[in-house]
Amino acid sequence: MTNKVTSNSRDHSLFDAELSGAVLNMHLLGRLVRWLKPYRFMLVLSTVLVLIASYAAVVMEVLISRVLVDYIIVGETESPMPDMGMIELTIWVERQTGLSSLNSAGLLFFIVMVLFALAGHWHRLTLTSAIVKGLRDLRQDLFAHMETRPSSFYDKVPVGRVMTRVTNDIEALFEMLRGVGSLIGEFVPFFVALAVMFSTSVKLTLLLLALVPVVGVATYFFRRSSREVFRRVRNSVSSLNQSLQENLSGIQVVQLSGREDKNLGEYTALNKENRRQEYRSINLATFYGAFNDSLTAIGLGLIIWFGAGEVVQDEMTLGGVILFTRFMGMLFTPVVTLGEQLNVLFRAMASGERIFQALDWDEQIHEPASPVTLPPRIRGKIEFRRVSFDYEVGNPILQDVSFVVKPGEKLAIVGPTGSGKSTLIKLLGRFYDFPDGMLFLDDVDINHLHSRDVRSRVGVVLQDFHIFSGTILDNILLGDPTITRDMAIAAAKTVNAHGFISSLRDGYDTLLQERGTNLSQGERQLLAFARVLAADPEVLVLDEATASIDTETELLIQDGLEKLMADRTAILIAHRLQTIQQADKILVLQSGEVLEYGSQTELLELKGLYHTLHELQFQDLKTVSG
Amino acid sequence: MKNYQAQTYLGFLGFFIARFFEVSTYFLVSEGIDLIDGSSDGHLGALTIGQTVLGIVFCVSMRFLVVSYARRAIRRVGIAVSFDLRQMLYKSVLRQGPGFFAKISVGDVMTRAIQDISLIHRAIAFGLMAIVIMIFAPLFGVSAMLLKSTSLTLLIVPLLPVVFIYAMRMANEMGKSSREVQERLSELSSHTQENLSGIRTIQAQVQEDNEIKRFWSTNDDYASAFYEQARITSLMSAWMPFFASVAQLIIILYGGHQVMTGQISIGDLVFFFACLGMLLQPIRMAGMLVMLVQRAAVATDRLYEIYDAEPEISDRPSGQVPSNIHGAFDLKNVAYTYPGATKPALRDVNIEIVAGESIAIVGRIGSGKSTLLKLFTRMINTPDACLYIDGHDVNDYPLSQLRQQISQVLQDPFLFGEPLYSNISYDDPERNLELIWDAAESASLRGSIDDFPMKMHTIVGERGVTLSGGQKQRATLARGLIRNAPVLILDDCFSSVDTETEEHILSRLKRLRAGKTTILVSHRISTLRHSDRIVVLEEGEIVEIGSHEALLELNGAYAQLERSQTLSDEPLAVQG
Repeated sequence: MTNKVTSNSRDHSLFDAELSGAVLNMHLLGRLVRWLKPYRFMLVLSTVLVLIASYAAVVMEVLISRVLVDYIIVGETESPMPDMGMIELTIWVERQTGLSSLNSAGLLFFIVMVLFALAGHWHRLTLTSAIVKGLRDLRQDLFAHMETRPSSFYDKVPVGRVMTRVTNDIEALFEMLRGVGSLIGEFVPFFVALAVMFSTSVKLTLLLLALVPVVGVATYFFRRSSREVFRRVRNSVSSLNQSLQENLSGIQVVQLSGREDKNLGEYTALNKENRRQEYRSINLATFYGAFNDSLTAIGLGLIIWFGAGEVVQDEMTLGGVILFTRFMGMLFTPVVTLGEQLNVLFRAMASGERIFQALDWDEQIHEPASPVTLPPRIRGKIEFRRVSFDYEVGNPILQDVSFVVKPGEKLAIVGPTGSGKSTLIKLLGRFYDFPDGMLFLDDVDINHLHSRDVRSRVGVVLQDFHIFSGTILDNILLGDPTITRDMAIAAAKTVNAHGFISSLRDGYDTLLQERGTNLSQGERQLLAFARVLAADPEVLVLDEATASIDTETELLIQDGLEKLMADRTAILIAHRLQTIQQADKILVLQSGEVLEYGSQTELLELKGLYHTLHELQFQDLKTVSG
Repeated sequence: MKNYQAQTYLGFLGFFIARFFEVSTYFLVSEGIDLIDGSSDGHLGALTIGQTVLGIVFCVSMRFLVVSYARRAIRRVGIAVSFDLRQMLYKSVLRQGPGFFAKISVGDVMTRAIQDISLIHRAIAFGLMAIVIMIFAPLFGVSAMLLKSTSLTLLIVPLLPVVFIYAMRMANEMGKSSREVQERLSELSSHTQENLSGIRTIQAQVQEDNEIKRFWSTNDDYASAFYEQARITSLMSAWMPFFASVAQLIIILYGGHQVMTGQISIGDLVFFFACLGMLLQPIRMAGMLVMLVQRAAVATDRLYEIYDAEPEISDRPSGQVPSNIHGAFDLKNVAYTYPGATKPALRDVNIEIVAGESIAIVGRIGSGKSTLLKLFTRMINTPDACLYIDGHDVNDYPLSQLRQQISQVLQDPFLFGEPLYSNISYDDPERNLELIWDAAESASLRGSIDDFPMKMHTIVGERGVTLSGGQKQRATLARGLIRNAPVLILDDCFSSVDTETEEHILSRLKRLRAGKTTILVSHRISTLRHSDRIVVLEEGEIVEIGSHEALLELNGAYAQLERSQTLSDEPLAVQG
């Protein structure tokens, strides 16, 4: 045998493990870039646009303060303070158009204003578009990756965990995108404004910048304490809801036990605790909000107080002072926004780690390097040769199982729960790699076949076959484009499913709820038959449903099964005597070993386990019909 | 809401004062600029730069204090109101019967308790605040601007309704797009969930590639919806500053002209720029606000549907009944049809039960067994004059007495997420541990509890240790037995208990319940045969009644059941 790392040795609990939890994981960001690459031109364009928009935002303020106030009203033209060439431009417009200087400035302001709005909008659009598409592709890749993980993976990892990777974790990145957008939109103007402020007055700029750390520290402390406070609020809310939920679910017990008043008391206590925590959280939030507002106003005071001195000494123009008052907001908002977005960022980092862990999870069925191609139609001979298998080391499920099923033959497998019946058919569908023994399909070692090829030849109906939400037809086709509607209906007719389907209001287009809860157990079984018949595999493998079904449907199922098995090799895990009696051969499995094997008559003569089971079942059969 | 009027008005007052200080701040800033400019001596006369700065600091701090107070007050009202709403909800649902829950499911009640209350909370906390700001800000802003320059103000004010209308429309659009995103997201989630739940089927049918292709459209739909939402948000963030800039342009052109002609000062010009922000900010929120209030109104309606629901089962004041139930029952022509059902669940049921008798009820699913049992404790609305307890109409007994003296174990073995001991002694948390162990013993649960490391303190329920079906049933049985009530009603609560354990329990019950009335429902002959009399129900009617032996002799439905069960009594090894 080739060296096969069976996935059984993996530690699947790692899939849930807490990851590094680093705040800024550069490696992670680096990997994310791969998905953004196809959209890089859009990102470059977006960057250019945000620069234009930020520049325009600053120019608008300069037009008001330096051009309007200094040049037009005060008449100051000689100040060394920067005007970004706007005064000159205004003069140029005046000369070209013959407008007054006030109107020229107005015209310029209007142009810049439009430019600002357009560039800002397009920047946001291009940025969002690029990242949304990148994340969409990432989600698609992740889904495709998870879709192809083998059964051994899904045996150990709950579906819910995998699902949160595809939904919640990617969602956290989408959330981050909202934040990143607003951060860029605020930080770029911040730096452009800062540059202009520095060239206007270094001293005043430094003075104002001194306030930024104050906002920063306040934000930091606010976020830190609010995290704790909000956690408590969340906890109190969830215990409140839990209490309500539980009382509602057990309302009859509550009422029968006369616990209404006592439970109301308990609920009131929880409700009060929640109110207390909510009060605490608003105290904090209110204080922080008012603090930030006031700091902005204090900044204004500083500008006037300091600016006054500078203007008197001709260090600054009046327009310069006004410019500063206008830039105040641009200084503080980025810090506040950063504080708001930090939590989102943390969460996104953790999610990113989980996403990549899932993408890196390379567990798979061993596929042959150069698979053998089967002819278009195979005869359907199956041979198990000394097959052994275990899910966990030291706990063998199948031991040394050997048998041959000739083309067209029907084999029934019987045995108590845990005897390895289901595992046996899963191996045949190549859902697991097995360490020992060989399995042949038409005398070809199935390890030399691609798992997909095997599965399209071997139609497996698992006991927990899944009915998807969608129409009945969808559930028969299962997305296979090679099956036509007529073929699907023909298949349904053959297995006796047509009767109940056409009695439904919308027939084949009837919408089924998830898991087919609006069908009866028997109807679902018939639907599963139709599905597998439509796919027309050469070998049928079926794990019979155990649930009790009314006699009428039972007869339909038995008949449908018979038609389904006609002209093909079939292996059935049988729970019903009738199903067993339809088989050519019977294999009795116990504790993973073949205990008895032969025709019904042979096994009854043997007077072994099958004989006992047969007797018991026969009794049961009598009671059902009686 | 009414309970918090004083607090609400104080909050409003706070916002009013805050706006005053805000406008004053802008006044002083403009004053300061004029002083620097030196071209005008300002409106307040002989203020120095220092005094102006001091004035700004004063106004700012006052505003800081007042705003903090007002915000806090209003938000506290929001919290207090949601507290009250929750209390009312809890009180109301606690007394509701099955009719109520048939109309409003448990999940629905939960949604209302969580989402609707939080909507109202937000509408009060932010909505009220925003409305107040929306009223006061233009009030102060416009009147202050009028003081400075009437003509300039009149030029700017017409812009405000335009912004308002735009904000409303955008809010509508944003609401739509965010609902779209939510819908797409939940579609994505259910698609993923369903796909992964059926992954084995998909892989067995080699449909992975098709499924991946199919996922693409769901995935892309979500991405498009997300992008659309971002586009609308971006449009809003482009237009709002644009409107502001138009106002600024007016100030530049007309205000600039006024300054040059000496009608207003430079400081006044800056003042106009500052007031503009104060005016536009609240208007931007208008749309969001209207939406919030609308949604809160709907939420309130939904909540009142719960508050206004009268409990369908309530005490009747007239009842003159003895304080102790002995356990004699007389069922006279009992008929019951569930509200909305077409077929009666019970009809023409007549049984006379002597105190101390044990009665067993058997019948197919839907034959009316559980319905019959629920009549005794009035878990459904028992009609008048059909069920008498010790000679008195069941409806004359106070509910509390009825449920205290008739101990009923339900079919669904529900356990609370609490320690075992408090689950068993659920009706009376003060009971001592000895008694609780005794009840567990009677229900054959002692052995299982001893196997738990935490014994009686083991937390069970959804978030605790998962008990097997049989263990759950025995725990709920213990909960019923511990009360040692004159009447015990067991609704099919041995179905997951193996036959041997059941035998133990039944023989113990026989001893414990000697002289007391016991009524039980079961499908098993082995359970039924212990009772004094057996009632066979079919489609709501009694078809046979009598002792085990008598019914066997009758050779009817019961006898048939007996024959079929003795044959298949052995557990079937083949059944997987």
